[in-house]
Amino acid sequence: MKLLKKPPLRVLLFSLLAMLAVAVTGTAQTQPQNIEVRIGAILASNQNDEFDARLKGLEKQLRVLKYRSYRLLTDKSENIPRNGNKVFEIPGGRSLMVTPQEFQDNRIALQVRLTDGKKPLLDTTVRIANKGNFILGGPPHEGGVLVLSISATVQ
Amino acid sequence: MNGCEDKVASIERWLDGELSGAESESLRVHMVACAGCSEARRRLEKLQSTLTGVLSSEAQRVDFMPFWRAVQLRINEKRPWYQDALDWMRGVLPASRLAWVVPAVIALLLAGVSLESYWRGGRNAFATVESIDAYGRNVALLREYDTKTTVIWLYQDQEGENEAAEETAPSGPAF
Amino acid sequence: MELTDRELVQRCQAGEMSAFQELVSRYHQKVYMVIFGLLRNREDALEVAQETFFRAYRKISGFQGGSSFYTWIYRIAVNLSIDAQRRQKRNPLDFRESMDDLLESQGEAARDPFADLHDKELREKLTSAINDLTPEHKAVIVLRTIEGLSYKDIGEILGCSEGTVMSRLHYARKKLQDKLSAFL
Repeated sequence: MKLLKKPPLRVLLFSLLAMLAVAVTGTAQTQPQNIEVRIGAILASNQNDEFDARLKGLEKQLRVLKYRSYRLLTDKSENIPRNGNKVFEIPGGRSLMVTPQEFQDNRIALQVRLTDGKKPLLDTTVRIANKGNFILGGPPHEGGVLVLSISATVQ
Repeated sequence: MNGCEDKVASIERWLDGELSGAESESLRVHMVACAGCSEARRRLEKLQSTLTGVLSSEAQRVDFMPFWRAVQLRINEKRPWYQDALDWMRGVLPASRLAWVVPAVIALLLAGVSLESYWRGGRNAFATVESIDAYGRNVALLREYDTKTTVIWLYQDQEGENEAAEETAPSGPAF
Repeated sequence: MELTDRELVQRCQAGEMSAFQELVSRYHQKVYMVIFGLLRNREDALEVAQETFFRAYRKISGFQGGSSFYTWIYRIAVNLSIDAQRRQKRNPLDFRESMDDLLESQGEAARDPFADLHDKELREKLTSAINDLTPEHKAVIVLRTIEGLSYKDIGEILGCSEGTVMSRLHYARKKLQDKLSAFL
């Protein structure tokens, strides 16, 4: 029977190594070197019924806010290195500091601080899907309110 | 072989009993007259008979009863549960195929791991607010399921921090 | 009256061990001949032959009768032999009683029908020459030694066409004749 019983040792060894490789790949996720953060500053108001065509991609999300008019004020995008942060100038003398945190399960944690001049307005840590976004709004601006779309993409 | 090279294959088939009656007779008549084909037939017959002789004489050494007892022993032997699976695998996956199966399985596993983390990421399309500090201001958190939108809404200070803005701007969205 | 193979198979499938024993009795030497021709080693050939009938017993309930019993059993034997040949290649240093040694002993045994020295040398050269053939060519030339196996039967056993059997046989015989021309 011995002639028929020995499985090829090379195949077994290779399979074991392969399993190990898969396990390591599955559990550990490479931390990205850069995160691209994009901030869209939008003026939402009820002054008219205009919808800025440049905001087509965000229309469904913005309509949740039930304002009649939406106008894109600024659209900025920056690559933020790992362990770094970036301050975005926001209309109305405000600024937004974004600090990418960890990246896990295809989601990025962003630490965000909104300030008005030197006065902090909001500190929050939000975890979003890679290439996803969230909306931060409320500060009054030019007869309406400022709405920020904050998105992040792993580079 | 005097131009009878093409006849060798026919001679082989004739020796193997694969020619029809008419073909067989025609070849037999030819071999009687052709020295080259007759010699080819002799060599083939010698080759075949020698091999048959070697194998037959060896096979005759195998007595039935000891052989049968050994087969019975295998039939009655309790095989480990994994032996059937191994035997099936060896039949379905010879070493040459196994060499391809292993990298294919690895690729599938890797794809599964990627899909699973992508799906997990996709399933949690909502942004999750892990911490929030509005420095004493009112803040609202909204999740809209159709668009998978997460909204953090910072309300104006009720104490009149931005009095001018209060007069013109709506107090907040109508969600 | 002697039962046909088909009738014996049906009895096996009904659970009659004696029917299976009869089938083994009919084919064990021919099966062994094929395996020995492929492996050239007595110990391995016996093991594989026993395993062949064991596998046949295990699978006999699924035998539909689409092919004859003998092509079915030879197919099992050839497949197991090919597996064993691969293992032989990976373990060339194992001590094995080779066919060459066997022929040596056969030469001294009383049962050896070939007393002539020239023939003995031919047999030794022949078995060595056969071993130089590829497994596919070895299989057709060995199966052809079994009386009653047609090209069609051999094709069924090996899973190839009659034309392929013919061309492999032709090639194998030509190779053997080239190596053994001095002896034939």
